[in-house]
Amino acid sequence: MQKMPRTDRRPTAATLGIVLLLLILGVYPPVEGHAAEKYQHLVNCDLHQGTCSQRLQETDILLEVTPRPVKAMTDLLFRVTLVGKFASPESAPYIDLGMPGMNMGPNRVLLKSSGPSSYEGQGVIVRCPSGRKIWQATVTLPDLGVVSFVFHVIY
Amino acid sequence: MSSIETLSFFYLSTGFAVGFGHCIGMCGPIVVSLSLSRKDKSLWIPHLLYNAGRVTTYAVLGAIMGATGSFTAITANIAGIQKIVLIFAGILIVIMGLAMSDWLPLGRLFGDGYRFGRLISGGFQRLTRIESTIAYLPLGLLLGLLPCGPVYTALLAATRAGMETGSPTAGALIGMTLMGAFGIGTIPALLAVSRLAGIGWLKSRQLIYRIGAVLMIIVGLYFIVNAWRY
Repeated sequence: MQKMPRTDRRPTAATLGIVLLLLILGVYPPVEGHAAEKYQHLVNCDLHQGTCSQRLQETDILLEVTPRPVKAMTDLLFRVTLVGKFASPESAPYIDLGMPGMNMGPNRVLLKSSGPSSYEGQGVIVRCPSGRKIWQATVTLPDLGVVSFVFHVIY
Repeated sequence: MSSIETLSFFYLSTGFAVGFGHCIGMCGPIVVSLSLSRKDKSLWIPHLLYNAGRVTTYAVLGAIMGATGSFTAITANIAGIQKIVLIFAGILIVIMGLAMSDWLPLGRLFGDGYRFGRLISGGFQRLTRIESTIAYLPLGLLLGLLPCGPVYTALLAATRAGMETGSPTAGALIGMTLMGAFGIGTIPALLAVSRLAGIGWLKSRQLIYRIGAVLMIIVGLYFIVNAWRY
């Protein structure tokens, strides 16, 4: 049987429809309004107002970010202060910055001791073109565990 | 393995991961749109050229930031250009979406022999027709400037790595290498999308074809609106 020549572009176009539909239903940013609501309940911190606190194994972990308000794409100083039972860990903590529900790539802020039970480091929260503004700072204390601060960022 | 090799592999794998998790959403519609302009020709070479252009832009940005050690200042300086690129990409997708439909005369854009010059200026006509395979390279170079969160994150880390070298030349080299590795890592995801647009198991599905055109226009408009807010 002779093979019929392909005369139009419909197969490609039809597949395009499926691909775009999947993109929009799945990862594509137009659902940002929905995404913002989806992650709003995770927000546990207002870094624009000042220091936020979480408790882990009888130790208070305080996070402060300056300058305030906390804006994306600017140089920021991250300060972690430990108060309580494990206030002087052997290893310095570090912070991983990311967005809930979206892989933004690894963005780690390494902290150095800046005083008794206090650690500081420079970092940048990048801007997501989708417009989503809920970010997460995961503070890891190598000997103790992990706490997450979820907050809004200004673009 | 030396430090730069380790870092490069890390960037490569990071690019691979965010490619499938993020780049498909941002660049997928562009990649699929570009596939349309190929008609029945091969998709591999043009898409490889598009990706080569995109990776080159990443590498150049990595070199600049690695050499200068400045992330925030440079991103602030190119923000205006990125906005224009975002608008450009949106218009491109809208035009191609209109071209896919048969509702407007634009729908014949990709038809044989149709002349589009009366409707849109010559420069854009050339771009949307993309008769030449090599045209995908400068398009990739340009669209590599699209604002993108994971690219920013990679550039930030490349800037830090460049700063640690203590030399602008070495900083440029490591910034370029790392961002090149990151960009290469994102290629499989976008090539996969471009291949999806080429499969032929949905022949003559008119409804889905129409939906595809509408979604494309919506996505393009979203790019433009997003650029306005950016």
